[in-house]
Amino acid sequence: MKPINTSRRKFLGTAAAASTVFAATPYIRTAYADTGEVNIWTYDSFVPESFRKQFEKDTGIKVNIRLVDDQGKQFNLLAAEAPNPTVDIVTVAGHRFLQFIDSELLAPMDSDRLSNWGNLNPIYTESDWATINGHKWGAPILSGAEILAYNTDLVSAEEARSWDVLFSEKYKQQTAYIIQDMMSIVMLYKGYDGNMVEYLDDPEKAAAIVAEARDFLIDKKDLVRKYYDGGAEIQQMFINQDIALGHAWNGPIAKLINDGFPVDMTIPKEGSYGFVYTLNIANNAPNADNAYTFLNALLASSEIGASMTSETGFISTYKDASQHLSDLEKKSTSFTDEELAGLKFFRAEANEMKYSLVDPAVEQIKAA
Amino acid sequence: MITDVQNQQKQSSVSSLASESGNAGQGPGDRIPFWGRVSGRRGYQALVDFLFASERRQFALLAGIPFIWVLTQHLGPVLQMLYVSFLDAYPVAVGAQTHLTLKHYLLFFEESVYRMPFLRTMTYSFALTFATLVIVYPVAYFLARHVKRQNQLAFLLLLLIPFWVGEIVRTFAIMILLGNNGAVNLLLKSLGFIDRPIPFMYTGFSVSFGVIYLTSLYMLLPLYSALEKIPASYSEAASDLGAGAWTRFRRVTLPLSYEGVASGCTLVFLMSTGFYAAPVLLGGPSTTVFAETIAGFFHVAGDRWPTGAAFACILFLASLTITALFMKFMGRLSSRGRR
Repeated sequence: MKPINTSRRKFLGTAAAASTVFAATPYIRTAYADTGEVNIWTYDSFVPESFRKQFEKDTGIKVNIRLVDDQGKQFNLLAAEAPNPTVDIVTVAGHRFLQFIDSELLAPMDSDRLSNWGNLNPIYTESDWATINGHKWGAPILSGAEILAYNTDLVSAEEARSWDVLFSEKYKQQTAYIIQDMMSIVMLYKGYDGNMVEYLDDPEKAAAIVAEARDFLIDKKDLVRKYYDGGAEIQQMFINQDIALGHAWNGPIAKLINDGFPVDMTIPKEGSYGFVYTLNIANNAPNADNAYTFLNALLASSEIGASMTSETGFISTYKDASQHLSDLEKKSTSFTDEELAGLKFFRAEANEMKYSLVDPAVEQIKAA
Repeated sequence: MITDVQNQQKQSSVSSLASESGNAGQGPGDRIPFWGRVSGRRGYQALVDFLFASERRQFALLAGIPFIWVLTQHLGPVLQMLYVSFLDAYPVAVGAQTHLTLKHYLLFFEESVYRMPFLRTMTYSFALTFATLVIVYPVAYFLARHVKRQNQLAFLLLLLIPFWVGEIVRTFAIMILLGNNGAVNLLLKSLGFIDRPIPFMYTGFSVSFGVIYLTSLYMLLPLYSALEKIPASYSEAASDLGAGAWTRFRRVTLPLSYEGVASGCTLVFLMSTGFYAAPVLLGGPSTTVFAETIAGFFHVAGDRWPTGAAFACILFLASLTITALFMKFMGRLSSRGRR
């Protein structure tokens, strides 16, 4: 026990220091919130690095980015921190607004505080999904679509005109898809409303449609190589030639096209779903003023919008952003009129019913 | 010679400076340092006398920090998870109330769809633990019994090098190795064994390969430690008594290494049940493990964390129960082996 006596001072000194840190903990967050910072949860490359550096230099506001890769995970993180989140700006897909709003996780967006709001294309800012309960809830920054991607060395453009090819024996074990997204697409492919808004008054029919889509995907399970989750995974599978075709978001595939990989994408004739990513201010955001300053700067010019498209491969929501893109970038982020005619946007009205049916169905497909 | 003289001069000037500064430090005008002032106070002395009055108190003081650490950092999250598993909803919406329920545990027993990944996980874990043991035992044996003592550390370091990087990086390395354009397929193709790549990836094989690779170290070290302790004279004695190589291994080496086998298998089994990244990145549609099912409840937007928490508790309890039974079995085997 002698060593204890000899190190008493050291021990008490350390204990005192530790006590100080613990005692100060309640004040740390307040101090953090008062500093010139803005905390953002967003997807990889959504905030261009060059813009971030310039913004920090011009305003002195430090930009802290935490990457997210899934809407559900982001919702759960935010819900766990509510009602006093550490984040100021989150990235919510337009069709997920309702869930965030109902849970009081977002603050209504005061577009009057954003002098550059007019730089956004009104197709996105004035869409029916953009205004809920009489308020705007986010600034649309990028738009995307669920597409069919294919290796042009292995699959012909003619074959890729229909989702049929994804379930054909010819490409057995050479396909991949995000299973949850595919549930909506399969419903559309079979002639139903994948948003399930039409069946809000008929839950039994909704359940029967989800069961049909589930059974279809179980039946085709031996044809698929991989159920994946993120854009990087499908890029990797195409590069390694583990797959010949697959369902994907247009952004990661546009990046592959721009990198010169022999891949192309299409919206098949049966149609598909589109979505819009928006930046939103969290309810009780600790640095709300800084968040508005950041958003206004981000919306300042179409070059920034174009830069976001170059970085992510998603379609810009800024007016005239395409003027600043290369020909290849323009090609990789645009669709023909025929393709766009089949594109519907995801809607949120029936989400509660839809996902209460789809989530267990996804587990059943995985377990089958 | 000149350098020695210069060094001596330097040392003498340094010591004279030190002695001067030491004298100056004891001058009457100097302030007593902060801790000196604190230790001189009556309150401090009373506190110290109280804390160090007995060896039991000193022990309590010493054990306090590790105890708090284990309680808050190790047990705390598990207990919180256990608590969440009994709630009807979590994260709790603002203004909403929660109630205690057992429904999340019942769901596991009611829905066969969730039992399938659980059984698959257990089957994988048993099979992969056994496979890891079979693969790693000869390596550990070679290292402990055939590599010269002075070279053993170098060999161990060589085996440890891949573990200097994280699990995810090593998993991606496996993807590079086993992909259609990966090293294995390219080698087989260049040697003329195959025309088209073999689809190793996204199969039970790639998951098994990954898990064995990721856990092999945790099997190797306990085995090496156990085998290294067995005196070579035991085998020599058995040999003198007429035992062949296989009999020597079966009757002498193996029983004496049961302790290492038990530790290695326990570690690998527990790790295998909880692996998430490797099955997600390397697995295919038919290799979904229970950790992925659990993660699904935490990823999907909503308040289904309690179901995920309940399933995590079920996996935790099942793994611990199986491990306890296995340890008991190995304990019996070990004592029988010693006899």
